[in-house]
Amino acid sequence: MNDKSSPRKFSRRKFVQGVSTTIIGSYVLTPGVSKISEKLEAETKEIASGKKPLNLIVNKVRYELMISPETTLAEVLRNELKLTGTKLICNHGECGGCTVLLNGEAIYSCQMLALDAGEKEVTTIEGLLTGEELHPIQKAFVEHDGLQCGYCTPGQIIAAQAILLKNSQPSKEEILTGMSGNLCRCAAYPNILKSVLAAAGYLTEGTNR
Amino acid sequence: MAVKIIKSKNFVETDFVESLAEVPVEEYKPWPENDKLKIVGKPVSRIDAYEKVSGTASYTTDKFLPNMVYGKILRSPHPNAILKNLNTEKAEKLEGVLKILSFKNCPEISWYYDTSLLFDKNLRYQGDEVACVAAISERIALEALKLIEVEYETLPFVTTASEAMMSESPKVHGWGNILDGKPDTYVRGDVEKGFNEADQIIEEEFNTQVVVHNPTEVHCSLANWDDDKLTIWDSTQAIFSVRDTVAASLKIPSSKVRVIKKFMGGGFGSKLEAGKHTIMAALISRDIGKPVFISVDRKEMNLAVGNRPDSNQKLKIGVKKDGTITALSHISYGSVGAYPDSAGCSWPLKTIYLCPNVKTEEYSVLTNSGRSRAMRAPGHVQGTFALEAIIDDAAEKIGMDPLEFRLKNYAETDQVFNVPYTSKKLKDAYLKGAEIIRWKRRNKTPGSQNSEVKNGIGMATQIWWGGGGPPAYAALKLNRDSSINVFAGSQDLGTGTYTFIAQVAAEVLEIPVEKIKVDIGDTDFPYCPLSGGSMTAPSVAPAIRDAAEQMKGKLISAAAAILNLPEEELMYSQGLVSSIKEKDKKISITEIVSKTRNRELITNGAREKNPDGYATNSFGVQFADVSVDTLTGKVKVNKIAAAYDIGRTLNPKTLYNQIHGGIIQGLGYALFEERLLDRKTGKVLTTNLHSYKIPTIKDAPEIEIAIVSQFDPLNSSIGVKGVGEPAIIPTAAAIGNAVYNAIGKRIRSLPITPDKIIKALYS
Amino acid sequence: MKFEYHQPKNLKEAGKYLLLNNSIPFSGGTDILALMKDGIVNPDHVVNLKTIDGLSDIKFETGKGLSIGALVKIKEISQNQMIAENFPVLKIAASEIASPQLRNMGTVGGNLCQRPRCMYFRDDFDCIRKGGGTCYAFEGFNKYHCIIGGGPCYIVHPSDLAVALLALDAAVIIYSDGKQKQIPIDDFYILPESDAMSETILKPGEFVTGIFIPELKSEARSTYFKFKERDVWDFAIVSVAAIIRKNNGIIEWGSFAFGGVAPKPWLDNAFNKSIAGIRVASGSIENVVTKAFDNAQPLQLNSYKIPLVRNILRRVITQLSA
Repeated sequence: MNDKSSPRKFSRRKFVQGVSTTIIGSYVLTPGVSKISEKLEAETKEIASGKKPLNLIVNKVRYELMISPETTLAEVLRNELKLTGTKLICNHGECGGCTVLLNGEAIYSCQMLALDAGEKEVTTIEGLLTGEELHPIQKAFVEHDGLQCGYCTPGQIIAAQAILLKNSQPSKEEILTGMSGNLCRCAAYPNILKSVLAAAGYLTEGTNR
Repeated sequence: MAVKIIKSKNFVETDFVESLAEVPVEEYKPWPENDKLKIVGKPVSRIDAYEKVSGTASYTTDKFLPNMVYGKILRSPHPNAILKNLNTEKAEKLEGVLKILSFKNCPEISWYYDTSLLFDKNLRYQGDEVACVAAISERIALEALKLIEVEYETLPFVTTASEAMMSESPKVHGWGNILDGKPDTYVRGDVEKGFNEADQIIEEEFNTQVVVHNPTEVHCSLANWDDDKLTIWDSTQAIFSVRDTVAASLKIPSSKVRVIKKFMGGGFGSKLEAGKHTIMAALISRDIGKPVFISVDRKEMNLAVGNRPDSNQKLKIGVKKDGTITALSHISYGSVGAYPDSAGCSWPLKTIYLCPNVKTEEYSVLTNSGRSRAMRAPGHVQGTFALEAIIDDAAEKIGMDPLEFRLKNYAETDQVFNVPYTSKKLKDAYLKGAEIIRWKRRNKTPGSQNSEVKNGIGMATQIWWGGGGPPAYAALKLNRDSSINVFAGSQDLGTGTYTFIAQVAAEVLEIPVEKIKVDIGDTDFPYCPLSGGSMTAPSVAPAIRDAAEQMKGKLISAAAAILNLPEEELMYSQGLVSSIKEKDKKISITEIVSKTRNRELITNGAREKNPDGYATNSFGVQFADVSVDTLTGKVKVNKIAAAYDIGRTLNPKTLYNQIHGGIIQGLGYALFEERLLDRKTGKVLTTNLHSYKIPTIKDAPEIEIAIVSQFDPLNSSIGVKGVGEPAIIPTAAAIGNAVYNAIGKRIRSLPITPDKIIKALYS
Repeated sequence: MKFEYHQPKNLKEAGKYLLLNNSIPFSGGTDILALMKDGIVNPDHVVNLKTIDGLSDIKFETGKGLSIGALVKIKEISQNQMIAENFPVLKIAASEIASPQLRNMGTVGGNLCQRPRCMYFRDDFDCIRKGGGTCYAFEGFNKYHCIIGGGPCYIVHPSDLAVALLALDAAVIIYSDGKQKQIPIDDFYILPESDAMSETILKPGEFVTGIFIPELKSEARSTYFKFKERDVWDFAIVSVAAIIRKNNGIIEWGSFAFGGVAPKPWLDNAFNKSIAGIRVASGSIENVVTKAFDNAQPLQLNSYKIPLVRNILRRVITQLSA
């Protein structure tokens, strides 16, 4: 995972008990419901409607949610957690805009049921930042202009992160292969390659054309 | 500064558009070469890059408002049908459905140049809008679409221009399938005479495919009413045209509509018009009193929001043995889909090469398919592919080197308007590009290499407009902390608008780029043109300069009052106004602003007028180095050398990036991309990003770029020409010519896919 | 898209759920989820096989062969050292699949059971494979369709792994009626003439649990050539899996399988027979190759696949016998 220590492991919540205990760094999201009794009622209703409990660890924060099984990970990230850095471009696993890390590996969050991501560690583009400080890969994309419209950029950066997590000294060919699952319609590809090369330490500053 | 109102005529995409514009009376001296400037022309990192790389940039798809609801559109599954009946009862009963809009309850709102309505009972292509459902979630809206019962009367249809041209074919509209009933015709000189004078006459036919923009962010709008004021967040290249279309459609004053677009995930021409979905969102939102977000999905992106029309082109060229072109003729047919648009593609042929006798006929033909829209250099991309192929073939026929042939027929002036260019450095571009690609390596005899994988080199020329012009305005506010806000109603599509605006203001005021905060993409700001036609930088940058220069003047004037010195004795430099005579008499921006009564200074800048009696065009050339695997028919583009005259480079980082993008999109057009339509059913087959193949990072070739221009000395005081469209125009043609050079067989239809090469080589 | 999601703990439970009406097995989801979003497949019950233990192993037993569990990810196959050394054809095929993300998500079982990419099947055409009466491709856009084995449907099977496994003479292990059984991969896939709505023999309640590949003689050389239009992330226009054993300049034995040409991974026994005993340096290879697919029946737009597959054969044989 990241350079920081791995997040705490949380035990699966017994959702039938209804009331959740507050854990620092975790959220229970039951949209539109505030009071505990209402919440309980809402959850019961949700279970009856086929909703299932999901424990999701995103960017080192645990979220406890009730979701319909058909909900994809991307939908949960964007609609429930409002982590909108993850983009839905094709929603069919054909573009890479929704790329996130799942236990350190790049996957398409639009083609994964959210329930399948339960108890696994999800890292989105927002999770790369330390406070307001950009991750070195993000900085490289700024410096080498590895983007144009920026819409596919979060996915590109996560894909780059997946490469560098596995191999801090990838070859150019390995970078190209690793980035080949992320389309960029603006076709900023030469600069994307340059950005990843720079993030891997192959380029020095100033070679920015 | 004094201003005046003039009539301004600008080339916007494919048409001249005339408008009234306020322009400065006096004009600034053009800046010198970039190496004498401090910020403009330097590789400044995008000022909006932080938001984009951190995931915090808020695109229209990322906007959430309290209580917002989601709209989804039901579209016709048939290429031609009449909507007989619509029953929404079941759908309305679905829990969570708030509103269903259709012809039954929607006012008649004219669409497509009065050829259709927002909801029309005549459905003329697969994708035409039938109804729109708004619900508390997208899933419920989608579920509701399935519950709407529709009765269609299906009608015969036409899918290709050639079919549509036949008299017995079904008519897309009552009035016939050829737009305006006749071709768009242009004649110069006497082509018959020209062909008679030729030693060689070559005639060829070319076909290009329909391609789709497919920007990453889908078309979408979020509409919200506050009393009688409507705010729309829209993924658009043209906030003002969205505002005006929405206002006209809803019959409300433009001043009641505000359109906002801070970030957008690409457009490439598809987002230059207001979408039907935008109007629907506004109507439903007004009705139910909640914000409404409507987005299309990837399939709809490939059906219903525009495309580059196809073309069938018949070209004829007459040449003398010495290489002189004596005549050129061009007949083109392009299908614009079900509603009026332009599919003409003759322009490059009219202007690139010196030729006294030219005749062109451009047919824009209606078919029962998704309507075309401007797509990155509309017409020029198709036209250049065919023109540059026949130019190569003509050169070969008379035994002349293709580059020499092009130089021989170099046009020094604009032949259509018979005026000089404000600048033209195409010759330099030719020579530079040829040097980079090492032109001499090309096969003297095409296809002569004796290997399984054959290499080839080809070239193609590009011409585009891109001089921009008035009207374009900007407001500049100088704050007490000496920071600056720039407000301009322009758009950044990923092209770097935010950044060059900051650079231009910083250059004039000699302060760091970080001091400038740029606010664009809002119709509450001063008007700027739509972002298309490669006209953003050349239109907007001079207005920024004007606002900043005026600010400098204001500072000097204020300093004069404060210091009790005559203005002539003062000079401005790096945030300080100081006396020329007495060095210790000086005052900083901060002090000046804090002493002025309103604690801030505001100026309004305007784009100056274009010079009379000139044409401004961008010029460029691309050279392609390709390998063709003769066993599989696979084309690999190894390298593209691109040399351009685009006036002044504002920012090499974003400029080179944009050129890369154009080239790689051009490569997709040349080799993979094609919207496929099933002839029997009239339905689109390529409705996703697997079947519609756009290039990946592995398909990207090595690209080497040379900018041969310093600045255009006459077009504006900045001297920049746009590069968005020039970047894509010659790529497919250069690749096509390189493939020919490699295998000795001319592939006359795009895309150049392996099956076509195999057929050419093995049958 | 609305379904009940079942998370069985063992094979038996999974088998039970899969006998429910309108039930489908689910693992990586990379293909089936897209089909569900598009309403091409509309299950009421989705049975997640990922919760079953023991289907995620790669095991090699000397003298016997290689077992791969159905839940093994494509990426693991492409990166497994033992597979790279002993079965290069399989490694290359796995590396050529889709994109890195999809290789991280997709499983062996899912890859073998993925549905065809025919654009008519994938869109709202009521085609034969979806129970309709027409194959729209037959007289429509059939550039990517089959040149052999077609009718009344003309798909090509999209799996790369299946082609490599066919050349390797592998067996598909399926769970059926309370037990696991091995089916030769050539029998696992079926042609549209026997059932145009299914690509495999799998019946309700059955699912793939793994594959078994018999050991190859160590001197065998193998490769996989996948020809696609786009450089990466594309399905095969034509692919060839090839294994040969050469001795003294003579190809003693060869096993070839083809993708992108037929509705199932294609084996041409006559071709495999004819390649055996050929001297590499002679012109005999050319004689054999030019006869390959001479019984093909191309459609209007796909006859180019015949020279293409022959050319790929030339290249692959040259490469392996070098």
